[in-house]
Amino acid sequence: MRLMAIVDAAVRMPGLEDLTMYRSTATVPFAGRYRLIDFTLSNVVNSGINSVGIFPTNPFGSLLDHVGMGKSWDLDHRKDGLFLLPPTQLNGGHLSVGTFAALEEHKAFITKSRRPYVVITNCYTVSQIKYHKMLHAHVESGMDITEAVSGDISLKSYIMSKDLLMELIDVYKEKRIISVEDLVNLKKKPYTYGRFEYEGYVAVIDSIQSYFSESMALLNVDQWNELFIHDCPIYTKVKDEPPARYLKGSLVRRAMLANGGTIEGTVTESILGRAVIVKKNAKLDRCIIMQKCFIGEGCDLSYVIADKDVYIEAGVVLHGTKENPIVLRKGERVLKEEVG
Amino acid sequence: MKTEIVAMLLAGGQGSRLKSLTYNIAKPAIPFGGKYRIIDFPLSNCMNSEIHTVGVLTQYQPHVLHNYIGLGTPWDLDRRNGGVTMLTPYAAMGGIRWYDGTANAIYQNINYLMEHDPEYVIILSGDHIYKMDYGMMLDFHKEQQADATISVIEVPWEETHRFGIMNTDENMEVIEFVEKPKDAKSNLASMGVYIFNWQKLKDYLVLDNENEDSSHDFGHDIIPLMLGKGEKLVAYPYKGYWKDVGTVESLWQANMDLLNPESGLNLHDPAWRIFSSNPQLPPQVVTETGYVQESFVNEGCVIEGEVAKSVVFQDVYVKEGAVIHDCVIMSDVVVGTGAKLSRAIVPPSFNVPDNFEIQNQEGEIILLTDEIIEKWKGSGEHAFDGNR
Repeated sequence: MRLMAIVDAAVRMPGLEDLTMYRSTATVPFAGRYRLIDFTLSNVVNSGINSVGIFPTNPFGSLLDHVGMGKSWDLDHRKDGLFLLPPTQLNGGHLSVGTFAALEEHKAFITKSRRPYVVITNCYTVSQIKYHKMLHAHVESGMDITEAVSGDISLKSYIMSKDLLMELIDVYKEKRIISVEDLVNLKKKPYTYGRFEYEGYVAVIDSIQSYFSESMALLNVDQWNELFIHDCPIYTKVKDEPPARYLKGSLVRRAMLANGGTIEGTVTESILGRAVIVKKNAKLDRCIIMQKCFIGEGCDLSYVIADKDVYIEAGVVLHGTKENPIVLRKGERVLKEEVG
Repeated sequence: MKTEIVAMLLAGGQGSRLKSLTYNIAKPAIPFGGKYRIIDFPLSNCMNSEIHTVGVLTQYQPHVLHNYIGLGTPWDLDRRNGGVTMLTPYAAMGGIRWYDGTANAIYQNINYLMEHDPEYVIILSGDHIYKMDYGMMLDFHKEQQADATISVIEVPWEETHRFGIMNTDENMEVIEFVEKPKDAKSNLASMGVYIFNWQKLKDYLVLDNENEDSSHDFGHDIIPLMLGKGEKLVAYPYKGYWKDVGTVESLWQANMDLLNPESGLNLHDPAWRIFSSNPQLPPQVVTETGYVQESFVNEGCVIEGEVAKSVVFQDVYVKEGAVIHDCVIMSDVVVGTGAKLSRAIVPPSFNVPDNFEIQNQEGEIILLTDEIIEKWKGSGEHAFDGNR
């Protein structure tokens, strides 16, 4: 493979703050049993790339925990494989993909690579893009930089030669640009710019609204089939949860469930993460409930996003709206007397 | 550091009463509980009991098992010291010998055990479903200063004739071992789990090997031999769920036990997790026409039909209008539109045709085969009757 991958996991989305208080955008849970970075890393390995550098920013504890040595993606190699390259200076959050300052800090990772091309990508665009096809198009086109797009949407993934990236790391300050995204948007001279038209599933997760609507869209079997392709599996950290358990009296319709849960109530148009417990007579409609949440007896929830480990006491009623879903932060305890 | 205990896991059994399920795989490799294989239980018990050196003895159709266990990663057995070792029959000076009896299988791997030279050896069977802390059994063995400890479980008196029964005194010391007795004096059945002091066991394995009349079986030969020589054998009373899934019926029943909160088999206990090799599949989806009741469903499934009181393995597609009751549907199965199944086991990767129907409210559990489908087609697609 002539391509290496740089995953920019340092982009922080102001609109996703409720879900990224304690974690990087890369580890925001998505589609029941995944984190956003799973889709990026799976695309990388499904494209045959086996040299990957991840550039995170604080807080990256959850990212370290999730990605580890990269075993789940078959990236725990003696030669090449996965590298986590955190910032050496604490320069805070970046807002655009491929920030040169971060790459400069770990220039050696790029210098010593034997691969003549680099793909720079991110964690908040979810797709099934094949980078080897994009590389082919890039080489054919003769352009300096190729950007992946899907219609009007940019996937914020860029391919260029390693030599050009090295050059850009040296000159970005005088060119007055901070990131690859910046460079491509401004179309700085003297470089030439091409596009690679990607067809298939795409979701850009940059706000609670898009997070909610893209999650709900996965309940359409057509969308689900576009994202979950049999030959291109999405890999994630293995958790050894038992199969989901449906108890007597449960009613589940148009829902997506990860393993380990126990469902006794009613779940419609919702996405449940791993090991979620929904007690008797509880009603969930259009909710996203993440790992290890507890929904007490007789709760009535709609348009609620509950982050990991949220405890909702029996009888709690919470109704958000499509435009403004209620977000419960990680570990929050919702008691009946507090919400009325 | 010296290895305290080595587990020897007997996984060579054929399980011929499980019919077509074991044509190509050994009994311990049989799928169970929506995502597991039976051997996950003893392996996970080892992991949870902090036994990190495990020899897995295979003979009958070993390839699936070898591939499945691999380096032992799912059970934390990919270790520098100890870990998992697959022990198959091998050629040596003097010829090739198949494993002939449980004790003979261990005897033939005496070199493996001598290499680790543990204090204790625990003998396990790869085809039982149970959750057991072997560490507590080892503590009991040490406290009793026994030469061998045999784990026993109380079985219903009317079933004692199916088991090896231990007659014990009031201190749980074994006085007598009787194989499948007609008139049992006790209802303590051996679970096929033994702890031996290694040095003692080694001597008896050698002794037993010299006896040409021996069937080289732990229950039948080694235990009586040790008792005869006055060694101290104690019974360790195990309480909890334990099942030998030897038949299609008992395999089905064990799966159904998962759906019954009273059965004592709980896989949702995070303190004693059962580990397995996890395929990477998306979450399950229940569509607007789907209906799931009192069931276990694994990842990758798409449920458009009705599923009740059933265990559904990974990657199963139940099409619209299909109705599944009291069934075990193994991985990668497609249940066609309008198909109706009850009291059946559907083997992996099976294609249940549209409108196929089984009527089976009280008959024997049906293991679906190509022959049954052919018969159904031949009959003009009349419901296959399992009640007769």
